[in-house]
Parts: sequence; structure tokens; C-alpha cells
Amino acid sequence: MADKFHDEILNLKCDVVNMARFGRTMLNDSMIALQLQDLEMARGVKGRKVTLQEQHDSLEDRIFTMIALYQPVARDLRTLVCSLMIVQSSERIGRYGKDIANATRHLADTDTTGNFISIPHMSELVVGMIDDATLAYEQENLNTIEDMSKRDDVVDSLRTSIFRECLTYMMEDPRTITRCTHYVMISRFLERSGDHACKMAEKIHYMVTGERTEIK
Amino acid sequence: MVIHMTECKEIIQVDHVNLWYGDSLALRDVTIGMPDRQVTALIGPSGCGKSTLIRCLNRMNDLVDTCRIQGTVNFHSKNIYASDVDPVDIRRKIGMVFQRPNPFPKSIYENVSYGPRVHGIKERKQLDAIVEKSLKRAALWDEVKDRLHDSAMGLSGGQQQRLCIARTLAVEPEVILMDEPCSALDPIATAKIENLIEELKTEYCVVIVTHNMQQASRVSDYTGFMYMGELAEFGTTRQIFEAPRETLTENYITGRFG
Repeated sequence: MADKFHDEILNLKCDVVNMARFGRTMLNDSMIALQLQDLEMARGVKGRKVTLQEQHDSLEDRIFTMIALYQPVARDLRTLVCSLMIVQSSERIGRYGKDIANATRHLADTDTTGNFISIPHMSELVVGMIDDATLAYEQENLNTIEDMSKRDDVVDSLRTSIFRECLTYMMEDPRTITRCTHYVMISRFLERSGDHACKMAEKIHYMVTGERTEIK
Repeated sequence: MVIHMTECKEIIQVDHVNLWYGDSLALRDVTIGMPDRQVTALIGPSGCGKSTLIRCLNRMNDLVDTCRIQGTVNFHSKNIYASDVDPVDIRRKIGMVFQRPNPFPKSIYENVSYGPRVHGIKERKQLDAIVEKSLKRAALWDEVKDRLHDSAMGLSGGQQQRLCIARTLAVEPEVILMDEPCSALDPIATAKIENLIEELKTEYCVVIVTHNMQQASRVSDYTGFMYMGELAEFGTTRQIFEAPRETLTENYITGRFG
């Protein structure tokens, strides 16, 4: 019985990793679509929302069932709690990708302002954080998430500087207001995605060590 | 091995106890404290020594001829294995409830009043009061108050077990030891005993041996995990079941054993 349960946990973890990568790829692709101003690609990202939601619902349902049927304890319990958290964060991250894809529609066929400022760089950092959190979860190894707090600080400061930079553009030239407002929103979506990576890292830390930690 | 002692006042302290049945070592250097007004659960696979340990706490092992014990078991800081200690007196202060309900083949009333009468209480009124109080504490009074003089053998298994608890309470113990008290009961009777344990701990130190890990996690404040005669880990129940320190404990409670 216990073997069956532990096999189920292993399968669940594989599927959670797949979902995390699915959400992360939605975010990453939305940024590529934005930079290439590729509306077709942006539409593709938006279309994946349904699959994302289905994965979220089915994984959540499986985790609830496993808790109800097996009453897990210790590391098994911590793994399920962490998996649930990752499923929720991945769904949010994927939806931010969808939001960025939405913005792409409004930004296409207009000149970019300041070459998107630091948004692509910010996106690289955030996607890297999500990748490393997913890897840490998959391998139950904390090495890749040790410096999560520092990386999140960088992302936060990028968001602040993007906001300031956009303000100056908007003051100089009111025609940039729509575009720059979208930039501010996008940097906010990316910053939130980075926060989700930190939340995932916190729960992975709990899963592996049994101790709760806060990444500020 | 790190043994984290309880923060509460310990009423029983087991100190470096070794125990042999003949030549075989059943307890190996066990040190553990039982806090007052808390529930301590002992878990572990069959033959790990948890029943042997609980039986040490009120000298039930004295009844086994080949049993030899080394180390001390202090109750209120006095070694219960000291030569001037009367084991009968110890067993009154440290009562025990067994796996299978074992009421005397007598009436409900007599089952509960037997202990106090042996200890010299003769007056009917006083005995009546003790019977009522004990049955109430054991959450059985409402179910049997109209048939106190019926045979105890006519009660259901769960009621018989609560009667055994009432019989233990009648002699005013300070500690209640329970050796697998629910393993012969159905889930509803088990839930009643578990609720009762929750109430009993407001007045008594309760020590419970159980095979059912969910039961240990539901009812106890502290949990000791035993393995091959040793106390492998001891801590708050929450810590043991959320984040055990020892891999052995982790493997046992998550069913990865063997």
C-alpha cells in the first residue's frame, strides 16, 4: 500500500514539474512574442490558458485525493504541500504570460520605446528563477535556490527603475503613455512571477528540510 | 542520538534502563520522561519494546520470572524499583488499561467499586459516589446509570473498555498507562476512547502504546519512536509527524520500512 502511494508521489512530482515548465514557457514565449512583435505567437500563448487551467485543476484534485486517502505524514506530507503550492504558483505564472501576450496586441505595430528598456533582461532573470526553483523541486536539492533572495532583490530594483524610466518618457512625450503604461504593467507581472518563484523556493526548502523559511 | 526533553514537568523519568527477558535484551539504554497532564505516545514496529517499556512504568514486568531490569524509573523523583517500594501501591498510582477489555465477570458497579473496597473503603455512600464519579470521568455514566447492577459482560467492547478505564480511575491514580487500548474496538468506540483521553489529560499523565500512527498523531502531545529496544527519537508529536529528525523514524511513519 505504501509502495503504491510512493509511486503515486513520484508520478505526481513528474506531472507537477511538467506543469511548472508549461507555465514558465507561457511566460517566456509571451516575452519572445512581445520582442518580436509576433501576434501569432502571442495568440498561441493565450490559447494555452485552457490547458494550464485543466492541469491546475487535475493536479489539485489528485493532491487532495492523496491527502484524503493516505493521510500522509513527514516528508510525504511536506512534498504534497509543496506540490500544491507549486501548482498554484505555476498557474499564476502562466496567467501572467497570458496577460503579457494580451498586452502584445496593443504594442504591436508601434515603435518600441527605449528598446523595451530593461524588460527583456528582467524576464531572463525571472525565468531563470522559475527554472531553478523547478529544478530544486525535481531533484529535492536546495543548491539552485540558495541565492533566491538576492536574485529577487535585483528583479525588484529593475521594476522600480523601469517605472521611473517610463515616467520620464511619458513626461517627455505623452504619445508614449499607452505603451509605457503597458511596460509598467508587464514589469509588474514579471516581478510578481519572481515572487512566485521565491514562494516556490520557500516551500521546497520546507519539503527538503522540514523547516519553514521566509525569502524576503 | 539527541533526546529533546519535554518542557513540562515530568512525573515519570526513565533513566538509562536496560531490560532482559532471560538472555535477550528487550530495552537498550532507554531514557525518556513522561510529562504530567500530557499524553505521551509510544510507537514502533512489533517487538520494538514499546509494551515492555510501558510495563516497566508500573512494575508489571515483575510478574515475568525471567525479566531483569537495570537503571532507574523515577516516579515523583523516587525509584519505583527501590527495595522499600510496594509494587501494589505503585500500580494503584500508575494504573493500566490493556488491549482487550478485561472486566471482572461481575456487575458494572462491582467492577468499579472493587479497587476502592480492596483499599479499605467500606461505606456504601462513599462507594456510590466513587462509582458515579469514575463512570462520569470515563464518559460511561449516561449509558449505564440505569443498569449499574447488570453484568459488565453484557456491555459492548467499547463500553467495556471505558469501564476498565473507570475501574482504573476509581483508585485515584496519577498516571494512566494504556497498552493498545483501541486495537480491539471499532472506529466509533475508538473515537470515544480518544475523546476520553483528551479529557483525561487535564487531570492525569497519560501514556499510550499504539500501533495506529494516526491515533498517536491525533491524541498525543509527545511521541517516542522505538526500534529494536531503543528509543530512536522522542519529540513533540507535531515535530515527529511533520519533520522527524531521524531517517529511521521518517521511514517508519511514512511506511517505507523494511
